[in-house]
Amino acid sequence: MDSHDFHKLLLSRGTFFCYSGLLSEEVLSAISGIVREQVTDIDNNEDLTTRVFGIFVEQAQNIIRYSEERLAQGGIGTVAIGHSNDGFIVEAINPMNAENVERLKKNLKDLQQMDSKDLRKAYKQRLREGPPEGSKGAGLGFIEIARKSSKFEFDFVENPDRLFVLKAWIVP
Amino acid sequence: MHLESTNRTPEVSISDSALELKGECYPEDITAFSEPILELLAEKLEVCESYSVGLELRYFNSSSAKFFFDFFEVLEDAAADGKSISIEWRYRSTDNSMKEAGEDFEEDMEEANYQLVEI
Repeated sequence: MDSHDFHKLLLSRGTFFCYSGLLSEEVLSAISGIVREQVTDIDNNEDLTTRVFGIFVEQAQNIIRYSEERLAQGGIGTVAIGHSNDGFIVEAINPMNAENVERLKKNLKDLQQMDSKDLRKAYKQRLREGPPEGSKGAGLGFIEIARKSSKFEFDFVENPDRLFVLKAWIVP
Repeated sequence: MHLESTNRTPEVSISDSALELKGECYPEDITAFSEPILELLAEKLEVCESYSVGLELRYFNSSSAKFFFDFFEVLEDAAADGKSISIEWRYRSTDNSMKEAGEDFEEDMEEANYQLVEI
C-alpha cells in the first residue's frame, strides 16, 4: 500500500489516532495527554469522552501486559481511536498465544451476555476475590471495557500469526 | 505527606487527622504509588480516634480500582475497631462514571460513615 493510500484509509474510516509498535507504560504516559485532548476536542460530552479515554487506557495496558510479541518494557500492538456520526470506536490488535484463545473467548463471550447489572456484580466480585491466576493487573480490564462501552466485539485472526482483535464502541 | 498531581496520579495529602486525594489515577506502577499511601494511612489510623477522608476523582483505571478497594477496606476495618471514620466521595453532577464508582464502593461500607457528595 502506498503511503498516501494509508493516509486516506485512516481518514476514510474515521481513525483520528493510531499508534502501532512497542507500547510500554512510558509510551502510554507520553501519548495519553494528547489522546485525552483529541477526544475532548471532538466531543465536549465529558462523561462520553472519559469513557472513551478509560477504554483506551485499558486496551493499551492489555497490549503492554499481554501481547505475545514482547520487548523488555512492554508489548507490540496497535491501538486506534475513530469517530463517526454514531460515536467513538477504540480498537486494539496484538499477537497472542494460541493456548489462551479458548479461555479468553469464553471470558469475553460471557461478558457480552451480561447486562449492566450483571457486569457490576462481576466487577465487584472480581475486586473482592482479587486477580485471577496469570493476571498482571486487577483482572478487571475486560469487565471495565464491557461496562464502559456500548458494545464490544472480538476476533482471533490467523494471519499467519494469531492476532487478537478487540473493538469497543462508545455512543452517547 | 503531600504528593503533587501528575498527569497519571492524583494530588494526595495525608495528615494526622485527614486524607485528601484529588485528580486522575492510572499510575505507571500502581504498587509503587499505592504502597506508601496505604502504609502511612494505616499508621495514622492506628493512633487516631477519628479520621476523615475526602476523594475527588476524575478518572481511575481498573488496576487502581483494586487500590481503592484495599484503601476502603483499611478504613472500614478501623471503623469496625471503634474509630470514627468519615469518608466523602465527591463527584461532579455531570460525571456518571465517578458517581457509579462511588456507589460501587459505598456498598461495602457498613461501619464507616460514607457520603456521596455531588459538587
